[in-house]
Amino acid sequence: MARVAVRNLTKKFGNVTAVNRLTLDVRDGEFVVLLGPSGCGKTTTLRCIAGLEAPDEGEIYIGDKLVNELPPKDRNIAMVFQSYALYPHMKVYDNIAFPLKMRKYPKSEIDRRVREVARLLKIEELLDRKPKQLSGGQQQRVALGRALVREPDVFLMDEPLSNLDAKLRVYMRAELKRLQRELKVTTIYVTHDQVEAMTMADRIAVMNNGVLQQYAEASEIYSRPSTVFVAGFIGSPPMNFIECTLVEEQGEAYLDAGAFRYKLSEEQAKLVREKASSSELLLGVRPEHITLHLKPVEEGIKGRVYVVEPLGAELIVNVKIGESILKVKTPVHGELKVDQEVWVSFNRDRVYIFDKRTEESII
Amino acid sequence: MSRKRVLIHVVAWSIALIWIIPYLGVFIASVRPYSEIVDGWWNLHPFTLTLDSYSAVWNHKTYPLKRAFVNSILIAIPATIIPILVASLAAYSFARFSFPVKDMLFLTIVALMSLPQQVVIIPVFFLMSDMGLINTRLGLILLHSSFGLPWIILFLRNFFMTLPVEVEEAARIDGASDFQVYFRIVMPMSLPALASIAALQFNWVWNDFFFALILLLSPDKYVVTQTIPMFIGRYLISWDKVAAASILDMSVPLVVFALLQKWYVKGVVGGVIKG
Repeated sequence: MARVAVRNLTKKFGNVTAVNRLTLDVRDGEFVVLLGPSGCGKTTTLRCIAGLEAPDEGEIYIGDKLVNELPPKDRNIAMVFQSYALYPHMKVYDNIAFPLKMRKYPKSEIDRRVREVARLLKIEELLDRKPKQLSGGQQQRVALGRALVREPDVFLMDEPLSNLDAKLRVYMRAELKRLQRELKVTTIYVTHDQVEAMTMADRIAVMNNGVLQQYAEASEIYSRPSTVFVAGFIGSPPMNFIECTLVEEQGEAYLDAGAFRYKLSEEQAKLVREKASSSELLLGVRPEHITLHLKPVEEGIKGRVYVVEPLGAELIVNVKIGESILKVKTPVHGELKVDQEVWVSFNRDRVYIFDKRTEESII
Repeated sequence: MSRKRVLIHVVAWSIALIWIIPYLGVFIASVRPYSEIVDGWWNLHPFTLTLDSYSAVWNHKTYPLKRAFVNSILIAIPATIIPILVASLAAYSFARFSFPVKDMLFLTIVALMSLPQQVVIIPVFFLMSDMGLINTRLGLILLHSSFGLPWIILFLRNFFMTLPVEVEEAARIDGASDFQVYFRIVMPMSLPALASIAALQFNWVWNDFFFALILLLSPDKYVVTQTIPMFIGRYLISWDKVAAASILDMSVPLVVFALLQKWYVKGVVGGVIKG
């Protein structure tokens, strides 16, 4: 077990900067998820840590050792690939035993460890099969087994669940988390699935365009997103953004969105004046922090129902206000008809304001 | 059966017959005495079945075919294994590693495939002569190996590029060196491709006449293809013996193909193993 430290990591492929000056600390035994859309540099980062790619700049430490120049096999890491990357010509037993054979463990020790891992992952009865004869979920377990058997310092996982069907994925998510807690192995896990990230991670590193956007616990990423990107990436459906301008009238500050005005509190106004680089702002509010009213209310903004998406216990109501559409998550409301007049109000404590130019969070 | 299908069958059978008739002729000529086939193998009266021609060529006094078989095998087996070993390592580098002038080098190798044997045989002869390899099996083995390299490199490089790279990366993380990755992971995964190449290269070497003719001079070193014309005879052509020797010669590539057919088909179809 070991901590992992990435310092100013930069990796370019031709003209494309896949990872740009990334700095990341992973504590001993921690489960960190690298989260971001495809092409954001998360997998490249993982591959640099694994030693499968050589960084152009920066340092990578595993434990206290600088590993930049070490080949993958000397980093004492284990990796689970998206495609599982099992050795197709070897039986499950030999797949799991391979890392130990390469390290010249005695035969009896190999056998003991392979069987122990197989027991842990409940794949004992599969040891004599070839990977081709296994289901996706079983292959996944074998890949995990191969990673576990060596008792590595660090686990690296590259979207290990994305090839499984939805039900199995939810199950394996919990299994993986339990396993990681039990074994307390430092784990770096790459995914583009925010639900996976939110449910499994101790901390999440959100990346975009090769740049680390925010690195924090799941709850903080959700409740205090540091940039427009993070705010829009986390949460389902994503946060609503409304372009607006800061307007001051008779000592009061408003956000003018054209179709409506949102009055800022004293405190909010102060922060906006201090931090904003211009009067161009983005008002952000999550669908779950908007209340839908069928009658006019104080501070309510009038709109019309555009589309209703039922989710069973809840509804996603698309409300058209002026030219923009707000998504509102709400408990089931009797009958909602398209084009019906409705009023929405924002939960004042859960309203975010971003600088439109820098895309950074103000509130 | 529709008319179209009937037509297809007729055409297919006709083409097959055109192909088969010469072989059939050679086979029939090989199992009948000379006196019966001298006017053409298709005269079936009288018809005496005999294997005399086979034993005659196999145990021939001056050019025993069994000696030629040993010579051919001693050349064809190493001339199959050596280029596959060398070319597969080169092909793997071309498929997976980056190094200076890689593309230029690869293009050069591919371009070399277009050189006909006849163009290079004179310099090759002098080269072999300088190295003292004229009239040696080693010389012929090396020549066949080097002629096999370009196409095997091309074929295998393309095959290796279709293999999932993560499997090799996984092996690297699991502690394998470059050579271990190659010999323990890539090679076993490439068996279909390697088997097809082995079949093609072996048959190519076995069927070669030209290189052997130029390089092997003494009759005790002659390979099978060189030996067959020796049965033609000075005053008359012993069709029965030539036919028997030809059938024996042909049987080896057929057996090799039959043994490797399962792999061969997979390899040619591009049977990539699912990862």
